[in-house]
Amino acid sequence: MLRVTQTKNSLLDGATIADNLYTTPQDCEEFFESLEKPSKDPKKFTPRKTFIRAGVLTTVRGSAYMEYGNTKVLAIVAPPHELMRASARRMNMGVINCYVNFAAFATGELESVPERERHLGSMLTKALEPVVCRTEFLNFQLDIRVLILDDDGCLLSTAINCCGVALVECGISTYDLITASTACIYRNHVFLNPSSKVEELLWKHRGVQIEAASGSAPEEHGLVITASMDTFDQIAQCQQCGYLSPETYVKLLDYTLAVNKSLRQLIRQVLTTRVREQHELDLREKTESALEDKRLKEIIERLQQKGLDEFIQSNIKEDPYVKRM
Amino acid sequence: MAYVALSEAEKTFILHGVEEDFRCDGRSRRDYRPMELETGVVSNASGSARLRLANTDILVGVKTEIDVPSPLAPEYGKLEFFVDCSANATPDFEGRGGSDLAQELILSLQNAYESPQAFDYRSLCLIPGQQCWKLYIDILVLECGGNLHDAVSLAAKAALFNTKLPRVTATLLDAGITDLIISDNPYDCTRIGIETAPLLVTVCKIGDYCLVDPTAEEEGCSTVSIVVSVSMRNGEPYLSGTHMTGGGSMHRDTMQNCLQLGLSIGEQLNTLLTKMLKQEQDRVGPKRPKTVGFLK
Repeated sequence: MLRVTQTKNSLLDGATIADNLYTTPQDCEEFFESLEKPSKDPKKFTPRKTFIRAGVLTTVRGSAYMEYGNTKVLAIVAPPHELMRASARRMNMGVINCYVNFAAFATGELESVPERERHLGSMLTKALEPVVCRTEFLNFQLDIRVLILDDDGCLLSTAINCCGVALVECGISTYDLITASTACIYRNHVFLNPSSKVEELLWKHRGVQIEAASGSAPEEHGLVITASMDTFDQIAQCQQCGYLSPETYVKLLDYTLAVNKSLRQLIRQVLTTRVREQHELDLREKTESALEDKRLKEIIERLQQKGLDEFIQSNIKEDPYVKRM
Repeated sequence: MAYVALSEAEKTFILHGVEEDFRCDGRSRRDYRPMELETGVVSNASGSARLRLANTDILVGVKTEIDVPSPLAPEYGKLEFFVDCSANATPDFEGRGGSDLAQELILSLQNAYESPQAFDYRSLCLIPGQQCWKLYIDILVLECGGNLHDAVSLAAKAALFNTKLPRVTATLLDAGITDLIISDNPYDCTRIGIETAPLLVTVCKIGDYCLVDPTAEEEGCSTVSIVVSVSMRNGEPYLSGTHMTGGGSMHRDTMQNCLQLGLSIGEQLNTLLTKMLKQEQDRVGPKRPKTVGFLK
């Protein structure tokens, strides 16, 4: 809907004329009209369908996959390894590096992808630094990789949630569970967990803004992403962009904190089932190995009773081909 | 941030100073270090400013270019920030060492200036949908003495204030093509409105207290800091971009206190900066006395 496909026709004198193929501010207007407006009381929002699974890959120690509505994210955490850059070594804490990659089909806008990857990577690092016990791996670095399979808004918060699960799966000690969520305000409508369409509208807002009459309060628009650790009510990261009055900011912050609380329940549950699952697997493995031990023991016993030659004879099965000849 | 070697004893000393509201250099928690600001120092740029905040030294140049506006915002001009952390600021920046920090500064500035409410992009428009000004704001960190975010945003705002755009007249040619004529007179120029341009205020948490304008040593002691971007509109402070940095977390109430502190400081800083810029402009005017020794 809001995709821009701009073609340029170069004229002989070097001037360019942009073709009318792109979406116009008018289209944005129309899209906003067609959009389903959230209720005035955002507390009664319908949560997105969420799916989280820890340990989806066998090749790495810690991995997690999360679907948040249509947003699909895969996070990979490898055990810490020694610092490669000597300059960072002087720090008295371990270093976290986050790399975010978009799958080629994840988003329609390909131009801005490298910039967004960098931005998301640095914000993700900032959000995860407070939650990991970095004093435990001095002079080591922890690489966290995130692959975005599909983008439908709330990218950063979903990535933070997913990385939190992957960290636990990898066995990295953390101070708490980390959860994150997004809220945005556009034309006095509060959207919780905005979809990519709404987020895009917000960025393109600059074009469709209605001129605020001088003297009246300017129109607020903005996005708040909060990552929190709820055991001690700590906020690990709070990023805001747009233009908000302090009161609106606090309001949005509280909304996101409420969403974080409900997400925390879910993540907790996922992690406990995962641990239980692992425990059952371990138990089964243990019984299997016990059975194996028992079998070997029996064989050895028989061996001791019968003597070597007899034992070999008793174990040789007649070869059907040999018999035929 | 640039690395400063600090022993545990030194850290404790700084921490106790902050608790007593009497910091190492005699300031209280709400005080800034002395600032020195000079505009119009680079002759090849349309606007420039140099800011010295105690040991932090920033030089900003604004270059202009004519560009095509983005189709979704045909009436808006463009801004582009670039930060260069040169290796003489601190040896840590040698090679690619400063690029992370530079990237962070660029992102926070971009974020703060993103909203059309925070910066009047309309004033950069020449012909809607066809031609607009694009400003390149190049920021050079000459010396790093802590509190880079604040210093960089102050200097950028001052440089934008100092920017002179040549007056442009357009003539309509055939086939809807317009031809721009740029005025020959160097004094025939327009200025950019910076009333709402945001300022970044770093509120640093050391121990249980929040303070502004941390020195490099204090930055080394802090657990977490929050960068608040304050934009003044109709005498009311607004937030145009906030994020936390420094690898720590804080309670919601602490954060709200930090925000309040940042907003009030940003408000004061903004009025002071505007006042000083006006004063300098009135005193010096278009005829600037020849200064000898650029960095002094």
